[in-house]
Amino acid sequence: MKPLKSLLLHAALLPAFALAQEGYPLDGTWRGQWGPEATTAVVVMGWDGTRIEGRINPGRNTSNFTAATLDASQWTVHIEAVTREGQSIVIEGTLADLGSYHRTLTGTWTVDGTAYPLTLTRE
Amino acid sequence: MLIRFKQFALTAAVTLVVACGAPAPDSASPEASSAAPTPRHADGLVNFDRQPGELGHWALPSQHSLVEIGASVAFDESGLLVNPEDAAKVAPFMDWSLALYRYRQANGLKDDPVNACISPAGPRHLMDPRGFRLIHDRNFDRLYVLFGGGNRNWRHMELDGRPLPNLDEVVGTYFGYSRGAWQGDTLVVESTGFNDRFWFSNGGLPHTPALKLTERFSRPDHDTLVYNVTVDDPRTYTRPWTAEWTLTWVPGDIEEQFCEQ
Repeated sequence: MKPLKSLLLHAALLPAFALAQEGYPLDGTWRGQWGPEATTAVVVMGWDGTRIEGRINPGRNTSNFTAATLDASQWTVHIEAVTREGQSIVIEGTLADLGSYHRTLTGTWTVDGTAYPLTLTRE
Repeated sequence: MLIRFKQFALTAAVTLVVACGAPAPDSASPEASSAAPTPRHADGLVNFDRQPGELGHWALPSQHSLVEIGASVAFDESGLLVNPEDAAKVAPFMDWSLALYRYRQANGLKDDPVNACISPAGPRHLMDPRGFRLIHDRNFDRLYVLFGGGNRNWRHMELDGRPLPNLDEVVGTYFGYSRGAWQGDTLVVESTGFNDRFWFSNGGLPHTPALKLTERFSRPDHDTLVYNVTVDDPRTYTRPWTAEWTLTWVPGDIEEQFCEQ
């Protein structure tokens, strides 16, 4: 049984190391909550060398980015998107704990002009 | 997190601070020119490894971080800048990569993946003070790198003329996919298909999976290996850039070491 336990333990630890990402700080999948009902948000981002591509809530209700910038001097992020229903979404935030696999993006999620607190954590 | 490395005898022998970008010892120096001639295989091809009956490996890198040729920048043994203001001189960074490099430097490299026993991959394994060997398997025309940094790792370069893989069909790896060809006595190796889960240089230079390396290995005499690498990562740097350092043939075997945490 001991080898099996060891194997399971290593399997549980594997993702933290195997998926660590040391390149462009926004690359990857981010998950968090916004608003009074703690609505879940998933944001996927990728850097192609000239622009940040991404989408909010991939799937049936995907909202593709219409604009996204990273100000590396302050590690601030600005993202704009429009939902299928035409609602505008603006994410403003600041990256923290850059060296961590689970770095965070904390700021606001603004829907049609109303801002709510937002925290996203990189998965 | 407790990290323990064993057998750092070579590390202790390395100078604590070196000036990178300064002319490195090469075959033109009087000391190097007095060394035995370049070892060759029976067919005249340069032998980067031991001759029969010989023990030895490559170590004592002349630099401890990648830095663009011509830049006068000093690092300590771990790749920390002696003068943090020199950060922008190291490579042609994009804004984000310079900011990230500065962040890592300011944090004393505490986030270095090697602290989690991630291998010093990319060209970094060729500046590890624990040294390496370059073994040419003539049967399969493949060059193996066996090195002392990391966990008894290896890397291989295919020299048989096969093309690099389609990057859409492979998973990015720590050492990428390497294809080499001889240009005279210089082995030129192209590598792509890296992941971005490691630091490819001491000191925390960033890269993305778009990283492409062109490496040039030459052995101007028995005791000297010249390593030249061009870094092309258009998502991280504004243009390709080149670094170079030398290594010295050291008698004896590579000390075995494993990372423990």
